[in-house]
Amino acid sequence: MFDPRDNVSVTQDANRLLAKARQDGIETVWQRHEAQQPQCGFCDMGLSCRICVMGPCRVDPFGQGPQSGVCGADADIIVARNLCRMIAAGAASHSDHGRDLVEVLAGVADGSAVGYQIRDEAKLKRLAKEYGVATADKTALAIAADLADAMMEDYGMRRKAIRLVERAPKKRRAVWEKVGLIPRGIDRETSEMMHRTHMGVDNNWQSLLLQGLRNALSDGWGGSMIATEVSDILFGVPTPRPTAVNAGVLKADQVNIVVHGHNPVVSEMVSAACQSPELLDLARAKGAVGINLVGVCCTGNELLMRRGIAMAGNHLMTELILSTGAVEMMIVDYQCIMPSVGKVACGYHTKMVSTSDKAKFPHMEHVEFHPHNAREKAMTVVRAAVENFANRKGQPFIPVEPQAAVGGFSVETIIGALGGTPAPLIDAIKAGKIRGAVGIVGCNNPKIKHDYGHVTLTRRLIENDILVVDTGCVSVATAKAGFKVPEAAAMAGPGLKEICGALGIPPVLHMGSCVDNVRILVLVSALADALGVDICDLPVAGSAPEWYSEKAVTIGVYFVASGVTTHLGPMPPIAGSMNVVNLLTEGLKDVVGASFAVEPDPEKAAVFLRNTIEGKRKALGLDWRAVV
Amino acid sequence: MKQVIVHPERCVGCMQCMLACATAHSRSGTLLAACQERPRPNPRIHVGAGRFNEGFPNRCRHCDPAPCQMACLAGAIYRRESTATVLVNPDRCINCASCAMACPYGVIRFHEDPLGPAGWAIAIKCDNCGARVAKGLIPACVETCKTGALTYEEMDDAMARKTRAVARSLSAPDRPAMPAGVVLLTSIKQAEMQLGER
Repeated sequence: MFDPRDNVSVTQDANRLLAKARQDGIETVWQRHEAQQPQCGFCDMGLSCRICVMGPCRVDPFGQGPQSGVCGADADIIVARNLCRMIAAGAASHSDHGRDLVEVLAGVADGSAVGYQIRDEAKLKRLAKEYGVATADKTALAIAADLADAMMEDYGMRRKAIRLVERAPKKRRAVWEKVGLIPRGIDRETSEMMHRTHMGVDNNWQSLLLQGLRNALSDGWGGSMIATEVSDILFGVPTPRPTAVNAGVLKADQVNIVVHGHNPVVSEMVSAACQSPELLDLARAKGAVGINLVGVCCTGNELLMRRGIAMAGNHLMTELILSTGAVEMMIVDYQCIMPSVGKVACGYHTKMVSTSDKAKFPHMEHVEFHPHNAREKAMTVVRAAVENFANRKGQPFIPVEPQAAVGGFSVETIIGALGGTPAPLIDAIKAGKIRGAVGIVGCNNPKIKHDYGHVTLTRRLIENDILVVDTGCVSVATAKAGFKVPEAAAMAGPGLKEICGALGIPPVLHMGSCVDNVRILVLVSALADALGVDICDLPVAGSAPEWYSEKAVTIGVYFVASGVTTHLGPMPPIAGSMNVVNLLTEGLKDVVGASFAVEPDPEKAAVFLRNTIEGKRKALGLDWRAVV
Repeated sequence: MKQVIVHPERCVGCMQCMLACATAHSRSGTLLAACQERPRPNPRIHVGAGRFNEGFPNRCRHCDPAPCQMACLAGAIYRRESTATVLVNPDRCINCASCAMACPYGVIRFHEDPLGPAGWAIAIKCDNCGARVAKGLIPACVETCKTGALTYEEMDDAMARKTRAVARSLSAPDRPAMPAGVVLLTSIKQAEMQLGER
């Protein structure tokens, strides 16, 4: 049996810090997961329904107990409704993050978002053009005002289609048009999903799932894409820059501040405050040699992509990082912040600060950041962190030396590195030097040994000449494993090694945070356009080996609906309906040209993904080989 | 005579039997009120996790001869032959835990109970819901179980049903003994657990 006292991770820092946490009497996610066993089988199979209070209901998977809820919904309907509500929640989360960025953009335009600015005017103008916003003879701020307004329209109900769907290849749009999957408004699709899953509305499991696809697309080509693009306008388009990863990025002789969450609106201001001469002087006065800002989770990725700021860890590291005793302050915004972290911090001198009006946590001080006061609030909290340096108890435990990595591969950068066109990449794929590409995305999950899925799958793929792009928590795992330095090309197969060597890039490219999965959509669209094919014809695939969240469900669904066959490590709660299982793993191929596969073992998943890619190569008339 | 029979392969680990058991052994008899009672009623059936985190409803077997009964120095544990139930006399129990040490299944707990003497802990174990059965109800854990992991029936009937199921699975092997979704989920969970052992 899995024993949480054994090694829970493939990473040395996690195992050492877990031992330290246990010694310090800190409860972690692994203990809580163990305490939850066995987890409810009805819920695990998607067969429990809490949608209305004629219920709650459950369906007996063995066929002898109740086979429908009080309302009459059978297993297919209950499973589909539950899955669709996960999609709606995931889409709502990413898209609400996008909305916050649009508000900052509007605030920059009207002067209220003090401290924020347009960092990339060229990108602002490119976006303005896509949105049909006039740019001639207008100042950047005037363009920003009109663009923010146009983006707000995408969230509403005035459009027949959200704007950025135009970025998808023509053939893909035709598929969506045919099946009725073109998202009309970002919030509209989420609202309609919640409406349809209300008792007594849509009770056809297929049409429910199709709306689930449209809802996910409203995030992938809508809310998330807006989040990424507006972040680039406000904070700069990422470019490759060296950084460092793992718990070793914390510094014993510096004030350590950890940002946790997702939205760069907060972390960028904190980053600026950490560089203020006034606070650096204060840090020195307190006996620290400097202020060391590091990230965990995706807001860390946002900073890593644009500023090269180091990453201390991914999702399952967020509690362990605090057990170093080296963290003066953790500043959180929203999403994936375990409510336990405040309690963990109680065991150390660490101050915890929540910043978002929509996300409050136990054992945290709430300092609310808004666009108009973020600069000032950032100075306040960083000052408090510096002052907390004096409260450190004893020598911190920093378990490892940091690992070097390179991040910051935006689509603009990748195409730039290729000489302004995707042609060299396409040529390498055609020649078979690169067999294809896989986007590995998603979270950590205590059900899977920490980072084992990410690292094993990535290793197997690059060994076999498959280029890996990654985002979110995966990107930290692969960076810690040493895949994100140019020298890691030595671990790649001969073809990929040659290409990486020629371009001076690692075999695994860090494309950003989890909203930045949309960069992958833009990249595959560029490849498909260059070849004149649909996305589902490309030798590419997706994977989420250790996913846990509703956002990850939505990402997986928009990948598949965009034509990218996607592997999942953990099983989504759908096993209660084999109809739903079969539709998602087989039937969708006939609808959108791609489907899901579930396989916890990354070794077997690697074989599946390689065969998927080889199959696409065969269909394109390229050389191919069967993998066993 | 009907008795509670456990079919562990059917347990999905939802733990609803535990809630139903605690409620059945409360003063109020409803879940919402039972949660507020002091002392708090506790379940006498316990769902454990197997090697692959599958559920297992662990319940008193009402052994005969019963090791707990033999270990009880105070003579508090006795057998009611009419219902084949091993019971604790709360007035005799001295809370020495000898019975719990003797029990091979770990199903005897010690706490103050809403239906026991006020102010001190005694041995608490499954009583086969004698009070419910006397009213013509079936045991609470069985009533709440929707997957058939717990049934209340004549042992002979259960045996005959099992024999028939085994015979059918052998004569028509294409008919799966387990539904496809259950097999799928179980295999995924097993694979996840095995990764942790690599």
